[in-house]
Amino acid sequence: MTQTLTRRRFVKVTVAATAVFTAGGRAQLWYAPSLTYPAVKVANLGQIRTGQPIGFSYPDASTPAILVKLGRPAIGGVGPGRDIVAFSALCTHMGCPVQYENGRFLCRCHYSMFDPAKAGQTYQGLASSWLPQIPLRIDGKGDIYAVAVAGLIWGRVKNV
Amino acid sequence: MALIPRRDQLPIPPKNARVHNTVCQYCNVGCGYKVYVWPVGEQGGLKPNQNAFGLDLSQAQPPLAGQSYTETMHAITVGKDGRQYNVVIVPAKDSPINRGNYSIRGGTNALTVWSLDRGTQDRLEYPLLRVGDQFQAITWQDALTLMAGVIKGIRDRDGNDDNIAVKCYDHGGSGQGFEDNYGAGKLFFSALSVKHIAIHNRPAYNSEVWGSRERGVHELNYTYEDARLADTIVLWGANTYETATVFYAEHMLPNIQGNTVAEKQEAFDRGEPAEPGYLIVIDPRKTSSYTIAETVAKDRVLLLQPNLGTDYILANAIARVVWERGYYDMAYLEARTDMKLFEEYKQKSLKLQVPYAEFMAQVERITGVPRAQIEKAADWIAKPKAGRFKRRTLTIYEKGIIWNMKNYDQVAAIVQLAVLTHNIGRPGTGCGRQGGHQEGYVRPPAPTPGSIYRGGPPVNVDKFLTDGKGKFYWVIANDPYLSTPNAQVFRKRIHERTEKLTKALGAGGEPGTIQERVKKILDVLYSDPDALFMVVQDIYMTETARDAHLILPAAAWGEANDTSINCNSRLLRLYEKFMDPPGEAKPDWEIFKWVGLRIAELYRAEGKTQEAAKFEFGKNWKTDEDVFLAGAEEFGDNRVGEEDEAKLEPENYKGVTYKFLKEVGQQGIQTPVRRDPKTGKLVGTVRRYTHKFGTPDGKFKWYGTDDWEGYPVEVAKYLEGEKTNQYPFWVTTGRAQTIWQTAYHDRRLPEKSRALPLPYVEVNPQDAKRLGLQSGDLVEVYNEEGNGTFMVYVTDAVKPGMLFLVMYHWRGTSNSLVSGYTDPKTTIPWYKGTRANLRKVAGAIPSVLQTASLLQQNKFD
Repeated sequence: MTQTLTRRRFVKVTVAATAVFTAGGRAQLWYAPSLTYPAVKVANLGQIRTGQPIGFSYPDASTPAILVKLGRPAIGGVGPGRDIVAFSALCTHMGCPVQYENGRFLCRCHYSMFDPAKAGQTYQGLASSWLPQIPLRIDGKGDIYAVAVAGLIWGRVKNV
Repeated sequence: MALIPRRDQLPIPPKNARVHNTVCQYCNVGCGYKVYVWPVGEQGGLKPNQNAFGLDLSQAQPPLAGQSYTETMHAITVGKDGRQYNVVIVPAKDSPINRGNYSIRGGTNALTVWSLDRGTQDRLEYPLLRVGDQFQAITWQDALTLMAGVIKGIRDRDGNDDNIAVKCYDHGGSGQGFEDNYGAGKLFFSALSVKHIAIHNRPAYNSEVWGSRERGVHELNYTYEDARLADTIVLWGANTYETATVFYAEHMLPNIQGNTVAEKQEAFDRGEPAEPGYLIVIDPRKTSSYTIAETVAKDRVLLLQPNLGTDYILANAIARVVWERGYYDMAYLEARTDMKLFEEYKQKSLKLQVPYAEFMAQVERITGVPRAQIEKAADWIAKPKAGRFKRRTLTIYEKGIIWNMKNYDQVAAIVQLAVLTHNIGRPGTGCGRQGGHQEGYVRPPAPTPGSIYRGGPPVNVDKFLTDGKGKFYWVIANDPYLSTPNAQVFRKRIHERTEKLTKALGAGGEPGTIQERVKKILDVLYSDPDALFMVVQDIYMTETARDAHLILPAAAWGEANDTSINCNSRLLRLYEKFMDPPGEAKPDWEIFKWVGLRIAELYRAEGKTQEAAKFEFGKNWKTDEDVFLAGAEEFGDNRVGEEDEAKLEPENYKGVTYKFLKEVGQQGIQTPVRRDPKTGKLVGTVRRYTHKFGTPDGKFKWYGTDDWEGYPVEVAKYLEGEKTNQYPFWVTTGRAQTIWQTAYHDRRLPEKSRALPLPYVEVNPQDAKRLGLQSGDLVEVYNEEGNGTFMVYVTDAVKPGMLFLVMYHWRGTSNSLVSGYTDPKTTIPWYKGTRANLRKVAGAIPSVLQTASLLQQNKFD
């Protein structure tokens, strides 16, 4: 037996779920994005070249991030090739800067490496949390915006 | 959008959170961790005086120096009171071992706790009884009645315990340490007399390093500071970056980078040169431990890649170069080693009767390592420094040596090289194993005292079982279906044997009561000699448990107090209980205690009070500490001076209490612990064998290793005739950074299971090109022992003609292909060498390719 989710029923379900979220334990499992993030323009489609990373600050002026067109499809990738991604540039292990080189993010403090096409997963090294990915949105003019952070930036208890 | 659940804020431990000290549940390094527990719904504030960290959380933490608290360090569990609790587990900054650093394994400690929000919710919560093809919940009372009834029934019929086979861990850390090991020891060796017992990762009850111990050198003799002070570090069959990660990243790497020179100047003799460290990696693979060092100090790293099984020949050759070049101190050798036995070493190992050039030519042919590299290694290990100061070399070996062919000779050859060059017992030296897990062993004497030279070898329990012997098989906190050698044959036979009992129990109707079940089990076991009753005691439903008749739920790390030592410093610490076990799960020592007491009741009912008393070993054990203190009684008197530390058992902790361990916290105390004869105070042992070796006369006992005899028949068969072409690849096996052992926790964590969804095989680019393979392809790797489906990683980590299989993966273990060979001297298997072929399978699994990274893991430049 299948049920059709009418709009009215959907509203009811949503309200119930919200109540559980604030009252129960899940209130302290904040799945990203649980915060309000600014939309920040990073670049225009016309500006970016495959393999050439663009540094920017997000979600605030003191926090480094990197946008890159990988030239291969990526989880969460945007653009015609689904290959433009952005990540926090602070290693999730102990907060050192990561560099984008040879198709991956590398931290030279303890040599953790993250795969930008696979949701920033640690494929080698010490970082137990994957690199936080920054969801992107492209508007009609080809401007690329950073709109949130999926994952906790190292050294904080809250991204914003 | 994220592939796995991600978080962008974490709860702050409030000021009144419970705070506990603990040590990581995983590897040999034993990094310190701090645990914070508090009820869900409460939270601390951002100011230092508002949170249990005591940190200003309104500011971002400074890189490296700050406190790591990441997404994988928080979970929510449920207490016995039915309330939810936050559990935060972060690396301890006050631990001398990790100093706030942590690895990808320890960083997920919090995610492994029993939680209804994660895959860890499927922990075993109560005993399960197989009835036909189902597992049904039963009470502890019934489970104990069943266990005791079957065990006593076997003893009554046989008059001995030879039909009882056990496979039980003997380590510390995750399995838990001295407390649980002592409980096991009392049940199996004092109450029962079990001789068919094997250790978690091998088919017998033995040391993996008798080749060192029987020379007078316990394998844990160095301290972590030695990795900071060494002029040269040798990693021999040890990929420390991936299997002892923080030891490498926090202590070895800074030495190679030259960041510990000031510490060396402090520790070395006056006028002695102190320079950035050198690294020699000896491994068939180009491991990440080598390639990282190559990235930071190209001129101070050396990689030797011997042919599989030939390491002891290589070790002897380096020793021969040392001899030829005079890099030894005859006064030291005469004072500290048995010079009568030294003659045998000179003849059999150094082969001084064979001219040097001829000897080296033979070695080159056997090992495949060029003479110039062997000579360079000898210089780096032992050539005196400017001013005739002895070089300081720390040699660390692990499974590449231990799980090599000829285990005994491999280990002996390496420790003898270290003693020949006086690289033991001085700051910056040492020769020992890296370790896989932590340690925590205290038991009554084991059934087999030593190698073939000391009353051994021990019985191969796998072979005993697959030959159709034994009636009761009790598997405790390990998963031999994945981990044992020749695993495919083992699985098939145990399945066949346990199924015989299952079917017979169901014939004519399942027994209605536990007493009837005991009777019927015994009837079947003694009418069909091939039938086998299997009990699995663990924290999850394991591969082995699927065939069990009874499953007992055990407590995990953090659910009881325990004590263990790490491997690189023998540092004893208290791992505090911070949460309740799920459901009715119990610490292993308590299960052993209750099984013992129930058997005792059966004997008492028959008036056999003397026999009953043997099984009442645990009647006064009320707390974890009671067991810890009882275990201490097994150790000898430790009221000895520093010069006599070599006489003590390596893990002797006599006099230590939980109170003492709470006071010293993360600083711990290094075993063997001494009670100073003058002051009575407890004193740790920083490094061993400075004054004497661990033999009756205090002298090192040399040993003449065997000649090169080629490969054992189990592998040599693949090198004969047509089979050379049928199975053209050498195969070696090992661990990967991301997952721990059988991945019993990791397979339940998306951070790990998405990254390594399938077992993988490393293939050299040349072979891949020839065979039309690329990373992500699926292949079947097969030989006459077994087979498995593996995902291809194309990498230069392996040489052409060699494959590397990741071990123990839950979707297919490398050990299905491993032969049943064991070293006749020790019964230790050769897990890391066989031959095989591979073929590409049709099609692909696109969802796996979408999530698993295929990037090269050993490339850091």
